[in-house]
Amino acid sequence: MMNKPHRDTISVEQAEIISHDAYDGDQYLLRVMAPEVAATAKAGSFVHISCDPMLPMRRPISIMRVDKDKGWVDFLYKALGYGTGLLSKRQVGEHLSIMGPIGKPFSVDLNRPRALLIGGGVGMPPMIFLAETLKSLLGSQPFAILGSEVPFPFTAKPSTLMLPGIPDGVIASMPLLEDWGVPSRLASLQGYAGCYEGYVTDLARHWLDALTVEQRNEVIVYACGPHPMLEAVAKLASEYQLPCQVSLEEFMACAVGGCAGCVVEVKTDNGPAMKRVCVDGPVFNAEQVF
Amino acid sequence: MTNPALSNDDLAMLATDFCGLNFQTPLSLLSGCVGFGEEYTRVKGYSNRDVGAVCLKGTTLEPRLGNKPHRVYETPMGMLNAIGLQNPGARHVVDEILPTLDFNETRFIANLSGSTIEEYAEVARIFDDSPIDAMEINISCPNVKEGGVAFGNDPDMSARVVAACRKVTKKPIITKLSPNQTDIAENARRCIEAGTDGFAVINTLMGMAIDIEDRSPIIGNNQGGLSGPAIKPIALLKVHQVYQVCRGHGIPIIGQGGVTTAEDAIEFLIAGATSVGVGTALFYDPLVCKKINAGIVEYLKRHDMSTVSQLSGSLQLNT
Ligand SMILES: Cc1cc2nc3c(=O)[nH]c(=O)nc-3n(C[C@H](O)[C@H](O)[C@H](O)COP(=O)(O)O)c2cc1C
Ligand code: FES
Repeated sequence: MMNKPHRDTISVEQAEIISHDAYDGDQYLLRVMAPEVAATAKAGSFVHISCDPMLPMRRPISIMRVDKDKGWVDFLYKALGYGTGLLSKRQVGEHLSIMGPIGKPFSVDLNRPRALLIGGGVGMPPMIFLAETLKSLLGSQPFAILGSEVPFPFTAKPSTLMLPGIPDGVIASMPLLEDWGVPSRLASLQGYAGCYEGYVTDLARHWLDALTVEQRNEVIVYACGPHPMLEAVAKLASEYQLPCQVSLEEFMACAVGGCAGCVVEVKTDNGPAMKRVCVDGPVFNAEQVF
Repeated sequence: MTNPALSNDDLAMLATDFCGLNFQTPLSLLSGCVGFGEEYTRVKGYSNRDVGAVCLKGTTLEPRLGNKPHRVYETPMGMLNAIGLQNPGARHVVDEILPTLDFNETRFIANLSGSTIEEYAEVARIFDDSPIDAMEINISCPNVKEGGVAFGNDPDMSARVVAACRKVTKKPIITKLSPNQTDIAENARRCIEAGTDGFAVINTLMGMAIDIEDRSPIIGNNQGGLSGPAIKPIALLKVHQVYQVCRGHGIPIIGQGGVTTAEDAIEFLIAGATSVGVGTALFYDPLVCKKINAGIVEYLKRHDMSTVSQLSGSLQLNT
C-alpha cells in the first residue's frame, strides 16, 4: 500500500450557525458547529466556505478559535465583496457548508519562546488562534500587536500585563488575550483611546529595542494581515535577524491543491517557484516571499 | 465499498467503454481541476473510484511556472482562470508522479500541451512509455501565448498536432476541442482523419473581468478561460455538433462545460457524450460525483434503461 498521509484530512460539514454578530466597519464574528473541523484545526488553518448556495465558488476564511470539546469554530471576517456580503446576511440556525481544516499551519519553535504576533485587520484571527495555542506551552511568552483602521471588533481594556519599551499611554489590549494571560497592545492611525498611534511595526520596534540581546535572540515573529503590512513586518524581521512566518491570502478555487489558482511566487534554492497558498501555505517563511 | 449509496447492480449500469478503456462510471474529472490525481483525496468521502477517469493537469516538455496571480476569479455562474499550464514537465510527471498513483482506483489520462507540433509529439512519446491509460491533446488552452488555442482554432494545425502524436503512440488519443472557433465540426472531421480516437468537448471560452477602481483586468494574464454553469448551453450545442461527425465513426466524446448535477450530465449524454466531465463543480462540492452517479442511476431506472450507453446520443430533434 502506498503511503498517502494527505488523504482524508479535510472534512465537508453542514455547519449550523450558533451566533453571527455585526461590528463597525462591516466586520462580523461568526460561530458555527463544525466538530470535525474543530477537532483537527491548528493556528493558521482556514476553511473554504459556501457563503450562499447560489454562488458557484466558495471563499477561504481563516479560523480564529475552536473548541474541540464543544465542536464550535469561530471566524472574524469583513464583508468586502459579493460573497462575504451574502455570508453576512446568513442567520443563526441556518447551515453553511464548510470544508476544512485546510493548509499548513504556523510552526512553533520552542527555542524561541518570545513569540511576537502581529495581526492587521482581518489578519487578527490566526494570531488569536496562535496566542491560544502558545499560552498553554511551558515557557512560552507570546506578545500580540493588533492593528486596525476600523474600530476593533471588541471593547478594548487597559492591560495589567506589563511589557518593556511600550510608550506611555499605550495600554489598550484585547480582553480575550488578557484573560489568557497573553499581553497584547493595539495600534491604529485613527487615534483610538489607549492605542498606539502608528504602524504595528513601529510599536514592535519599541518593544524589540527594549529587549536585551539575549532576549532578542529568543524572538520569533508571526504575522497575518494586508500585503503592505506583511512586507513591512518581513523587513523588520530581517533587520533584527529574526525568523518570521507570514500567513498569505489569495483568490482560491479548489482550496485542496488541485487547480494551482492560488499561487504565490517564492524563492527556492532552485530559483523561483510558484507555491499554492491553499496547501503549500497559507503560512510561509517571510524571506521566501519577500 | 466506496459508493455506499449504489449497489453492485447500480454500478454495473454506470460502467461504460471509452476508446476501449473500461470506465467504472461515465464521469471524468477534468484537466486542471484535480492536479495530478491525488489532490482531492485530501477530502473525506471523496474517491477516485467514483469516476471513470481522471485527466491530469496540462503537461509540457519543460517545467512551466505558469502565469502571475490572480489566476482565478468568480463570475456570474462561473469563473475565469488563467493558470498558464503550470506543471513540472513530462519527464517529472512520468518518473515521479505516475508511480505514486493507484491505477486500480480509476483510469488516468495525461493532458498534453506544447508550443510547437514537435513538442506535443515529444510529450506524447514520453507518456507512451508510461502506465498512463490515454492521452488528451489540449489544443484549446486559451491561457498561453503559443500553441494551445492558436492550434486548436485552425483545423489544419489541429490535424497536424494529432497526426504527429498518432505517429508516436498506440494509446488512445483524445483531442480536446476549443469552443473559440467558427466550425468545430469541420475541425473534428480533420482530427478524425488524422487519427484521433476520441474527443473532449469543450475547453473554456475566453473572457475578461475588470476591476473598475484600478481600471485593470483582475486576472494577471488579463484574459482567462470561462468555465462553470455559465457555459453549459454552449457546451451542449458543441457536443451535439461534434457528435454528428463522430457517430458514423464510433468515436466517443467526453462532454463537458458547467456540469453540476445529474440532470446536467444526462443532458450531455443525450446530446452525444459517452463520458461527462466534471471540473469547476468540484470546487463548490468535492463530493458532487457521488450525487451525479446516484442521479444517473435513478434516471436510468425510471426510464427502463439498463446501461448508461443507451442514453448516449439519444437526442430526438424537433422537426
Ligand atoms: C482552473 C482550471 C484549470 C484548467 N486547466 C486545464 C488544463 O491544464 N488543460 C485542459 O485541457 N483544460 C484545462 N481546463 C479546462 C477544463 O478541463 C474544462 O474543460 C473546462 O473547465 C470546462 O468544464 P467545467 O465547466 O466543468 O469546469 C481548466 C479549467 C479550470 C477551471
Ligand atoms: S485554490 Fe486550487 S490549488 Fe489552491
